[in-house]
Amino acid sequence: MKNGRKKASTSAASKTALGKKEGKLLEVNDLKVSFFTPAGEVKAVGGISYDLNYGEVMGIVGESGSGKSVEAYSIMGLLQSPGKVVGGSIIFEGEDVLAKSKEEMTSFRGNKVSMIFQNPMTSLNPVYTVGNQLVEALRAHNKDISAAEAKKRAAEMLDMVGINNVEKRMKQYPHEFSGGMRQRVMIAMGLICNPKLLIADEPTTALDVTIQAQIIELMKELQQKTQMGIIFITHNLGVVAEICDKVSVMYAGRIVEKGSVNDIFYKPSHPYTVGLLRSMPRVDAQEYERLIPIEGTPVDMLNPPDGCPFAPRCESCMQICLKKMPPYVEMGDGHSSACWLRVQEKMKDKEAKNNG
Amino acid sequence: MAKYTLKRLGMAIITLLLVACITFLLMNTIPGSPWLTEKTPSQATIDALNEKYGLNEPEIVQLGKYFKNLFKGDMGVSLKMQKNRPVVDIILEMFPVSAKIGAIALLWAVLVGVPLGCIAAYNRGKWVDSLLRIVGTIGISMPSFVVASLLLTGLGGSDDSIFPTIFKASLGAKAYILPCFALGLYPMCYISRQARSSMLDALGQDYIKTARAKGLKNSAVIFKHALRNALIPVITYLGPQIAFTLCGGFVVETVFSVPGLGRYFIQSIQNRDYPLIMGTTVFLAAFIIFMNFFVDILYVVVDPRIKLEKGGE
Amino acid sequence: MADKTQKTKTAQPNKIKFGSLQPDIENLLELKPEDFMPASEEQKESFIQNRESTSYWKDAWRRLRQNKVSMVALGVIILLILFAFIGPMVVPYGYDQFNSGAENLYPWHYSLKDQRLIDSVSGNAQERLEAALADAEAEKGEALNSREIAKIRAVVNSTTVDLEDFIKENNIKHKAFGYSVSELKRIEAGEKVFPHVFGTDRYGRDNMVRLMIGTRVSMLIGVCAALLVLLIGATYGSISGFFGGKVDAVMMRIVELIYSIPEVLVVLLLSTALKPALTTFQNSGNGFFQKLIGLLGPNLISLFFAFGLLYWVTMARIIRGQILQLKEQEFITAVRALGAGSGRIIKKHLLPNCIGQIVVTTCLQIPSAIFLESFLSFLGVGVSSPMTSLGSMASEALSGIQTYGYRLVIPAIVLSIMILAFNLFGDGLRDALDPRLKK
Repeated sequence: MKNGRKKASTSAASKTALGKKEGKLLEVNDLKVSFFTPAGEVKAVGGISYDLNYGEVMGIVGESGSGKSVEAYSIMGLLQSPGKVVGGSIIFEGEDVLAKSKEEMTSFRGNKVSMIFQNPMTSLNPVYTVGNQLVEALRAHNKDISAAEAKKRAAEMLDMVGINNVEKRMKQYPHEFSGGMRQRVMIAMGLICNPKLLIADEPTTALDVTIQAQIIELMKELQQKTQMGIIFITHNLGVVAEICDKVSVMYAGRIVEKGSVNDIFYKPSHPYTVGLLRSMPRVDAQEYERLIPIEGTPVDMLNPPDGCPFAPRCESCMQICLKKMPPYVEMGDGHSSACWLRVQEKMKDKEAKNNG
Repeated sequence: MAKYTLKRLGMAIITLLLVACITFLLMNTIPGSPWLTEKTPSQATIDALNEKYGLNEPEIVQLGKYFKNLFKGDMGVSLKMQKNRPVVDIILEMFPVSAKIGAIALLWAVLVGVPLGCIAAYNRGKWVDSLLRIVGTIGISMPSFVVASLLLTGLGGSDDSIFPTIFKASLGAKAYILPCFALGLYPMCYISRQARSSMLDALGQDYIKTARAKGLKNSAVIFKHALRNALIPVITYLGPQIAFTLCGGFVVETVFSVPGLGRYFIQSIQNRDYPLIMGTTVFLAAFIIFMNFFVDILYVVVDPRIKLEKGGE
Repeated sequence: MADKTQKTKTAQPNKIKFGSLQPDIENLLELKPEDFMPASEEQKESFIQNRESTSYWKDAWRRLRQNKVSMVALGVIILLILFAFIGPMVVPYGYDQFNSGAENLYPWHYSLKDQRLIDSVSGNAQERLEAALADAEAEKGEALNSREIAKIRAVVNSTTVDLEDFIKENNIKHKAFGYSVSELKRIEAGEKVFPHVFGTDRYGRDNMVRLMIGTRVSMLIGVCAALLVLLIGATYGSISGFFGGKVDAVMMRIVELIYSIPEVLVVLLLSTALKPALTTFQNSGNGFFQKLIGLLGPNLISLFFAFGLLYWVTMARIIRGQILQLKEQEFITAVRALGAGSGRIIKKHLLPNCIGQIVVTTCLQIPSAIFLESFLSFLGVGVSSPMTSLGSMASEALSGIQTYGYRLVIPAIVLSIMILAFNLFGDGLRDALDPRLKK
């Protein structure tokens, strides 16, 4: 755990040393996504904002149904009916993604931004060979490339993600690959057009632990090689510590806390983040230690309450939490948190200052 | 692949033998004999006839003999309908007519049904989808005799009209229109419903998300990635549909007076022409079973996943 | 933080949104110390506005009610049930009652006067000649000579009129429902006569009452066959799925074998073969089963045999699949640990959990059973006279299709509507009971 954190910070440091492109790659402002179901509007994402610099790796952490994947799909323009972006903006390299036409989105997807999915077992088309699917991804955006060249490039990519015997593997069908291998293929497919941003939607969740570590290692390696930005969606904080520079913690369609990896791990300031950290096994635990789960279930997104959505599961819930949504409180250096506890602290600080 | 094929083939042959046995047993429980016509022949004549055609022997012996001859391609001779004519000859004369109508019907059913299903799936929830769904459900709710006889009452005319009531091969293509339409309507609607649901199923799969995320054009996503996967289940429905179309042929042939095997089969049951019933049943069953077998094999060709799995279950 | 927030002002306090990085300062300032008091557990509990939790069936019923198509289909089914079961009580004719003098009636009639007019041109040539001769004779006052007779004969023969034109020219309109001439005369005499709404067949049997009985028979066969299939399929499938292993392998091999038998061929043979055998059995004694056969008719019984023997395989496959899935789940392990026997686990725990699937499959089995029955009856091996079904009615009508097309069209339409209604209702039921399956 600790090692991972160190690694993450060192990798961040080495990146700046490499002299990567500066500035914002992606800006998400007050993005709202709703699903219009027969039972009513489900606000899956209720206004989130964050930005991602070139070559930065951001983790989005949250439990199932917290809106992390939905948020990613809206960047890719992959939201399916009845889901709809109802507000906010997504700016990618200065261009508004939401304003793009269908055709523009088609050439945007897979080219500038690509995505890999949670379940490698079902994410590859079973009736086409792996080579075919890789070449297809390349030729979708690079129309001039010859078939032979495309094949060569696909083989290079497979080699790069650590698949042996590439020539033979190219001709095989997905079912002839193991889960980890398929995820490598998915990564190769995602990177084949040299995208600036890779969105990884729980890429290791469906894999077993040893394979998980391999895939994370591979992604880290590739990130350093290609200097792409990565949005890493997961519910596994361990994975976040391994690979991310900064983290956003989502709960019930909102970002409840965001900050650098160190901030989140050492100075968690939202009870939900604290809970998440406590529910995670630690290698460096001093002695026998119980994992503490977060009690209760998430709120019903169909009738979101007025107050803080985490209030009913929160140990330090206050009267105000049940009435009003907490504002974001800056904790310095890009670390902010939406919790009334922090507001209370700030107010006390201010009072003390005024008094003193 | 070879093992799979052999296994399916073995299964098909066992089924066929089973059907032959069932047919034989059932036929022998039918009271009444083929010799009973308007004037009952004398007992002596009946005995003589039974003797001649081997009907007086124990059933098991009859069955054994029948199988022995069957392997030689001999299905016996008709006892009544076309006295003493070999059953094989009769089948060979009648079947091509049935097969032609059945094939045309199935062909149009597939060629229209699959695209309609895909259109409906692609426009899910829109009015096109609703319309196609309603039409499809009406289509599978009308037995083929209803369609056939409604067409006949509504459109049928003399030999010179566009839609002749009575099928005559000499009338050429127009004789086929109504029977083929009537026969193909049910499978068409059935296939379009299946195509719709399997297309929707395919469109909801993760690999479609991947294909979209790759930045493929909508057409490529649908025609390359979804369609091929959607067709796999449609092919499995095709096997039973072949059988169904063929049997629907009994009715359509009866209504349009088509001189095909289906109509003849019904008549041979009514006339208790044993060898003819057996012959026709075994022949049709063989045809259906082997069509199913070929569909199974086709299935393997389309779906690369089957090969590795044992027996393809 | 507080300094920062003071710079931004939001006018509407309730517009605070989590995503906006601007906390509402006015509201912040209004905060009282009480607001920061810890909240009690009860307050936390009541905070979540729970949706009213509904039971599976309640929820399914709500979804079904919302589905307009299924509700219309259900309405049609109810109407058909009323038509088939209450209808024959209203109509004073029996389904096997020959109404002499009312043979071959159309579903319409002409008034007595018009009928006479039509008869005067459409009647037998000899009769018309005789009538004309009688008229001429009466006019002349003496017997006609041969030349005059020849002349009149020529006139009569040349005036054969086209009936349709004649009806049109004389502006004769037909009136709804069929009445025979004798019935019309009885009406004239002040008697009340129930009309033959859909006319009569060639034996003078009332078509409407036959249609009602036919609908009833088709519907009963559909429901009973579906229940039979359910009984056999569910038993077989759950045993196979529950015991798994070798038992399952053998049982499924058998299913596969039956599945690949061309059923329609065998059913045709079966219906033909069983009917005489059952008739013999029926006449052999007076026991319960003989009476049952007498009640239902040998045709129906053989139809059920066919269903019981061949059509349960789909149901068995579905149930087996469900059971296989369910039995791996923890609650079954728990029940097993409590020492429940296999039969009890299947009956009390496994089957109730796949009830949705069972209901849907059974419901969709009804139209296919009706379908098959009508097919067999149409080919003349199903329900036979005097009992009738929609398929038999259509079959009987086929011979007179050119003149009496309505006799075929009416049962054909009723049959199609009935199957359609069951199909649509079944589809709706599937969507309601298993939302995951909704396509």
